[in-house]
Amino acid sequence: MDGGLTLDVAVAARTDIDASDWRAAVRAACRPLVDAGAFEQRYADRCVTIIEEHGPYVVLAPGIALAHARPEDGVRRLGLAAAVLREPVSFGHPENDPVDLVLAFGSPDPQSHVGLLSALARHLVADLAERLRSAASDAEARRMLQEVVSDATDRE
Amino acid sequence: MNGRKGVEDELEVLTVCGVGMGSSLILRMTAEEVFKQLDLRAHVTATDVSSARGMRADILIGQELHTPEFIGLVPIVISVANFLDKDEMKAKLVAAMEAAGWMAA
Repeated sequence: MDGGLTLDVAVAARTDIDASDWRAAVRAACRPLVDAGAFEQRYADRCVTIIEEHGPYVVLAPGIALAHARPEDGVRRLGLAAAVLREPVSFGHPENDPVDLVLAFGSPDPQSHVGLLSALARHLVADLAERLRSAASDAEARRMLQEVVSDATDRE
Repeated sequence: MNGRKGVEDELEVLTVCGVGMGSSLILRMTAEEVFKQLDLRAHVTATDVSSARGMRADILIGQELHTPEFIGLVPIVISVANFLDKDEMKAKLVAAMEAAGWMAA
């Protein structure tokens, strides 16, 4: 770490989520940040419709989806959430299905999340997905996301 | 005369996804690492598919879902499945650059 300010990020993680399909999984990932007031309810709905409109491109690696919508879709505060699914769901991705880890983020503007996603990518390339999948509790999973936030700055 | 792509001339690279602020950013980070490993100069921009239609680039990288429409419009178009996998991207990039004569085989 070299100087950039630590980001102020709303963080939530839940394990053992029962989701009947990918839409339920995306909503489940967003829900705690909606409850915490970081996202408006419509943000979770938009995360779903954006995938309906643009296809399952959010499934960015085997088993891992990164759902999000746009700043104007109801983001009050930068937020990062994770839902670990009890049973994987299919997003209709030709190669990366099935998905058992749904990450969601929301950014209040087009730039604030860049440093956060950069840190997230580094942690995913390491072992974040495996660690989240084996987290023993929501609190433990949340601490793992908090490490990502600590590793992110407001700069790239 | 053009200089050698990525050596004298900086490569203009687009990473694309549906909205242009999530997956394409992750892809940009992976791409930047790959170009660094290959010791090639590249300027990588993350964007959404519809904006990409109006942008000039040497190389476009995205998921199979988004890339076919750019074939013929962008000299090198690469589809990757795993946005976190540098090895997959590097192998595809090297093969495409060699095929285009931008890199010695």
